[in-house]
Amino acid sequence: MSDVKRFTFLRGVFFCGFAVLLFFLAGMQLFRGSRFIELSRKNCIKLIPQPGARGSILDRNGTVLAGNVLSYDVMVLPQKNTQLENVLRRISPVLHISVKELRSSFNKGVVAPFIPVAVCRGITLRQAIAVEELKTEIPGVMVQPRPVRSYPGGKLAAHVLGYLNNIDHWRLSKLEEYGYTERDTVGYSGLEEKYDYYLRPLEGGVSVEVDHRGRVVRVLGFKPPENGRDIQVTLDAGIQRIVEEALAGRKGAVVVLDPQSGEILAMASSPAFAPESFIAEDKEALRSLLQDKDGVFVNRSISGVYAPGSVFKPVTAAAALETGKADYSTVIECKGSLKLGKEEFNCSSVHGPQDLEHAIAHSCNIYFYNIGILVGGQIMHDYALKFGYGRPCGVELPYEAAGLVPEPLWKRIYKLKRWFEGDSVNLSIGQGDLLVTPLQVARMMAVFANGGELVNPYIVKNIGGVDPRSGRHRRPARAPLSSGHLAYLRESLRMVVEENSGTAHVLSSLPVSVAGKTGTAQAPGGRCHAWFCGFFPYDNPRYVICSFLENGGSGYQASLMSKEIIAGMAGKGMI
Amino acid sequence: MNRSGRLLLCVSLLIALMGIVSIYSGTFQKQSGVFEGIYLRQALWVAIGSAAFFLFSRMNYRLLWDATYFLYAGMIFLLLLVFTMGIIKLGAQRWLRLGLLSFQPSEAAKLVMTVFLAKYFSDKSADSISPAAQRFGPVRALLVPLAFVMLPAALIIEQPDLGSGMLVLLLFMSMLYLSDIKLRYPLALSAVFLAILPIGWHFLHGYQRDRIMVFLNPNIDPLGAGYTIIQSKIAVGSGGLAGKGWLSGTQSQLHFLPESHTDFIFATFAEEWGFTGCFLLLFLYYLIIREGLRIASRTGDSFGRLLAAGISLMLFIQVMVNIAMNMGLAPVVGVPLPLMSYGGTSVLVTFISLGILAAISRERRAY
Repeated sequence: MSDVKRFTFLRGVFFCGFAVLLFFLAGMQLFRGSRFIELSRKNCIKLIPQPGARGSILDRNGTVLAGNVLSYDVMVLPQKNTQLENVLRRISPVLHISVKELRSSFNKGVVAPFIPVAVCRGITLRQAIAVEELKTEIPGVMVQPRPVRSYPGGKLAAHVLGYLNNIDHWRLSKLEEYGYTERDTVGYSGLEEKYDYYLRPLEGGVSVEVDHRGRVVRVLGFKPPENGRDIQVTLDAGIQRIVEEALAGRKGAVVVLDPQSGEILAMASSPAFAPESFIAEDKEALRSLLQDKDGVFVNRSISGVYAPGSVFKPVTAAAALETGKADYSTVIECKGSLKLGKEEFNCSSVHGPQDLEHAIAHSCNIYFYNIGILVGGQIMHDYALKFGYGRPCGVELPYEAAGLVPEPLWKRIYKLKRWFEGDSVNLSIGQGDLLVTPLQVARMMAVFANGGELVNPYIVKNIGGVDPRSGRHRRPARAPLSSGHLAYLRESLRMVVEENSGTAHVLSSLPVSVAGKTGTAQAPGGRCHAWFCGFFPYDNPRYVICSFLENGGSGYQASLMSKEIIAGMAGKGMI
Repeated sequence: MNRSGRLLLCVSLLIALMGIVSIYSGTFQKQSGVFEGIYLRQALWVAIGSAAFFLFSRMNYRLLWDATYFLYAGMIFLLLLVFTMGIIKLGAQRWLRLGLLSFQPSEAAKLVMTVFLAKYFSDKSADSISPAAQRFGPVRALLVPLAFVMLPAALIIEQPDLGSGMLVLLLFMSMLYLSDIKLRYPLALSAVFLAILPIGWHFLHGYQRDRIMVFLNPNIDPLGAGYTIIQSKIAVGSGGLAGKGWLSGTQSQLHFLPESHTDFIFATFAEEWGFTGCFLLLFLYYLIIREGLRIASRTGDSFGRLLAAGISLMLFIQVMVNIAMNMGLAPVVGVPLPLMSYGGTSVLVTFISLGILAAISRERRAY
């Protein structure tokens, strides 16, 4: 057979293969064995993780909303029990923490024999220096600086920022594929959650060979940590502060929008939480936050849905004008109530004969009931959608609510009932099943401020210096309003403030000309929701403001709050 | 059972025993539930494997000839099934779940490909002494078998399991050399593979590239892939002449060594039993592989001859790659150490392969 030669060759290969392995094995185990024994006995290789810094969140002018400060951690290398006891006894007086506590935090933190364990976090610089001095006497102790999230503004824009906490099971199961581990800290709600992947740092580390006293002999390898990317948002910290001061802890929300671009200049929700308490692990504060019944973590400006009340009336008016059901000369007499079948629908007072302009200025319900019946539920629903209601605005924050605009079909499906005229009446003044978010209201008002465009509100200016929307800005849609009707409604909104009997006349004393609409929405839970949504300066609008107070009383209360905010902005020379 | 069969069984049981002892040592410090009693599972697999050894050594191995295409089709089916129903462990989709046990089709694929190639390059007649392969032209000698090999190899590499995939390719090239085709074909194929290697680099997964880069210099990623190599080398090297003793290996006991009961079982073993133990182990492996080659060379039937040589080759390649990887001489690829590493499919397939060897030795003992 001719393959005999090849079989012989193969036998040679087998033999040589084993011989080579044996040769190298002898080299490693017999000749260089003592060095390897040394390495293994002393556990000579240590890994020192080097944490990177989480990306900062900056406002439009570069003011830090969420940044980092250095915190000093005391790290102890895992070692034999007796040695460890000795080490902990030495550092305990410096840190003013009992050996027992140090021991338990050490036991909790052990991951592997070569990774140092943090026994005490966030010590002062003075303590850090004291511990460093001990290092020469006791091996296996080190102080590691670690960047920690800080919030220079305290509660400022807390809902937009979100907070940081240890990763939970649900998030871990989703994020494991992206390299998250169970020891990671991740963002919860707000930008911290939405852009966690960009903000998070990548841990690096050095592997070093150390001698028996824990001193570094040489560096074996190094992988530099990578900092997270900074995010610049469109918020203006100055406006945000004024807004949050005006809210003063009352339940509510305020959105300030640039009507031309859709940039969100301020977004506040109240009551707010201090994201710092999660970093400081302030147990008392956390317990009270988690037991809070007012929905302290809910960003009311995008996730809260409420009946808008009269701030919805411009939509009804637009629908009536565009469909020709009403024009500038339509006059309806308000006698204080409207009887429909057995039900009676009321107005805030007896206004007498009203045209559209005055009906808006006085917020006359009777006028809108009548044109609401003329326009009908379906068309009002369609117009509401064209003004951005009933779907999320698409702002880059998690948990944005869509709200709800009822229509005849919806009522048939979900309530198993016919659409009555009473439903049209309710919808015409923003009551009934209608639910909106404060941001949606602000977006609607921006249409009247900027000459008819439904802008797309956004909050992220750039991520790591790159505009995430570059080249693919969503073009704003055109609102369904002819320019004549738009100008007319704009004037009407101005009259709300300007007229002596206008519902927001309180704003007329401001140094800027404001136009807008109040709303007093009947709400579950007793008191009405107070709304004011307007824009200013009237001639060249640069700001849209939507103030909302949950169960805050009449629209007057929201107007007062808006006045405080606008006065504050004017005082700072922003307008 | 004849002398060869007894030798194969005794030596393989001895190695498997050493494996169980090392698995016990590698896992008994890890108190989490996953590792509890894992050595018992391995013992069960060895028992099942021995039964399979008896079964296959009593079987007429020419049945494999008839079943080759069924085996091949079944293997492809299972490999495809892994993609749809496979369970994901350690970032790869390699296992199928069968009730309580998990099954790794890529392990079985190694044996099935050996059978397939042995059939392809041998004559149908059991009495023919000159194999048909001698007259093969380039298409029948290279292109057709290459297509049959590339299909499972690609499926395995895609899992991703680069180690087993490359192993199948290596097996193909070696069997090409052993079969009676003209020497220029295997040489040409090797040349082509060498030329393709740089291009193949681009198709590797990021972590596979990392592993190869790290093999060249473990210190570039001391926390990640390089860590295993460094620790494994320390484990092997620190064994010294006599070793640290059973259950006393610090590298494996103190969890420095990852995968100490599967791919890096050799490091665990070497640390605790030293050069003496390793020498014995390597000698036992050499005995099995040499016996396989002996059976091959004294068999007249070209199918049996190639099959026996292929099985020895398969074992040889796995032993070489795994031990070299444990010693830091080869990149970290997922190739288990036959009979030692924890893993039911690998143990079972190895015992079946040895059973086939015994069957071949029984059929063609005397001439």
